[in-house]
Amino acid sequence: MTSSEKLQALQADVDVFDGATECTVLASLPHWGSLAVLLVILHCETRYGSVVTGPQVRGCKTVGDLLKLFPKRL
Amino acid sequence: MHSSITNVRLAGLAVSTGSQTRDFIADGLALGLDRVMLERTAQTIGLRERKVAAPGITALDLCEDAARRLLDAAGLDASSIDAVIFVTQTPDHSQPNNASLLHGRLGLATGAAAFDLSLGCSGWVYGLQQAALLCAHGGAARVLLCAGDTLSRLTHAKDRATDPLFGDAGSAALIERTGLAAAWHFELGADGAGANAIIVPQGGARMPHDSKPLTEIPDLDGNVRHAANLSMQGGEVFNFSLRQAPPAVAAVRRHAHYTVEATDGLVLHQANRFVITTVGRKCGFPAEKTPSDVVERYGNQSSASIPCALIHAFTEPLSARSLRLVLCGFGVGWSWGAVAAEFGPLVIAPIQPYPHSA
Repeated sequence: MTSSEKLQALQADVDVFDGATECTVLASLPHWGSLAVLLVILHCETRYGSVVTGPQVRGCKTVGDLLKLFPKRL
Repeated sequence: MHSSITNVRLAGLAVSTGSQTRDFIADGLALGLDRVMLERTAQTIGLRERKVAAPGITALDLCEDAARRLLDAAGLDASSIDAVIFVTQTPDHSQPNNASLLHGRLGLATGAAAFDLSLGCSGWVYGLQQAALLCAHGGAARVLLCAGDTLSRLTHAKDRATDPLFGDAGSAALIERTGLAAAWHFELGADGAGANAIIVPQGGARMPHDSKPLTEIPDLDGNVRHAANLSMQGGEVFNFSLRQAPPAVAAVRRHAHYTVEATDGLVLHQANRFVITTVGRKCGFPAEKTPSDVVERYGNQSSASIPCALIHAFTEPLSARSLRLVLCGFGVGWSWGAVAAEFGPLVIAPIQPYPHSA
């Protein structure tokens, strides 16, 4: 999957990312917080069957950083 | 660890909740939080109301009330109980244990055994296994299993990641030795390496309470807590639940030869609807067989959540007949417990707030 495809999938599952680009700083998203972290973990598990941890998600600065946590293939 | 225990039955259940209702949206608005954000969270996680204990009421009080109502409903005298097990993380004192205090309050026979288990969300299944062992191999004919907590006392009102989740409740169950009963299949486990992900750092022997003022520390989201508060790493708890609960459920189903279709219900620890629906789906169960609405009425009740869900979702059929159920709790201590068994018919005392007049 390309980064663009990953972003589209993320936006389809988690509306926190509506209108975001890969350059968007996570902290600038209006609804970024502990609930969003949970939703990202769930997205990764259900879409990719892969586990990301809370600290990994928290360690990302931008949406692009987040997308790099997800596997390249479904 | 797997165990199969035969010749035991669950004879009765009761749950007493806290008497005070807390509303998730109203509490958030009182803290100055955004309504839209609150409604989003309420919708996604499944938070609405929770029942917390009135000042001065403890898990011991809640469980005593549940036990008395259950004994009344079953028409049993307390002297017929051979052992009492109390599962709690919020005992009245560090010493003596809650089970001995309850033993005294109920007037159990001298010589009836009494001990506590220090467990939370997995604790009811652990306690059930211990009660079943006492009946099957320990010389007991009837065991009273009480499980409950007042976790709402451990959270900081400004910790919005933790405080809105918890309700207070106490449960009572009767487990009896019987003949010709099908086996109960248990899977108990723990991964202690992750145990600090849910922790109250201060108040035990490692970091005792002292006279110094508690320092409030904000986290990245602006939540506030101090060392005597419950701290929970939500993302890690979620991953732990997804990692450990489904294999445990699959293992007990395999031992019991229960297909999903032949199982009447999967009752998970009622952490929140988000966790329940995700774990239930990963266990292969349809939503209609996985009750998830208890937590929206009562909050996360720790070790009392599974008996509360059993009563809430299955009172009618469990009172009349036998159901094939799979139960699974998971949480503090990075511990989990699952059981597959036929439960019922049994005596059920309804879910009630305590004190009753409130």
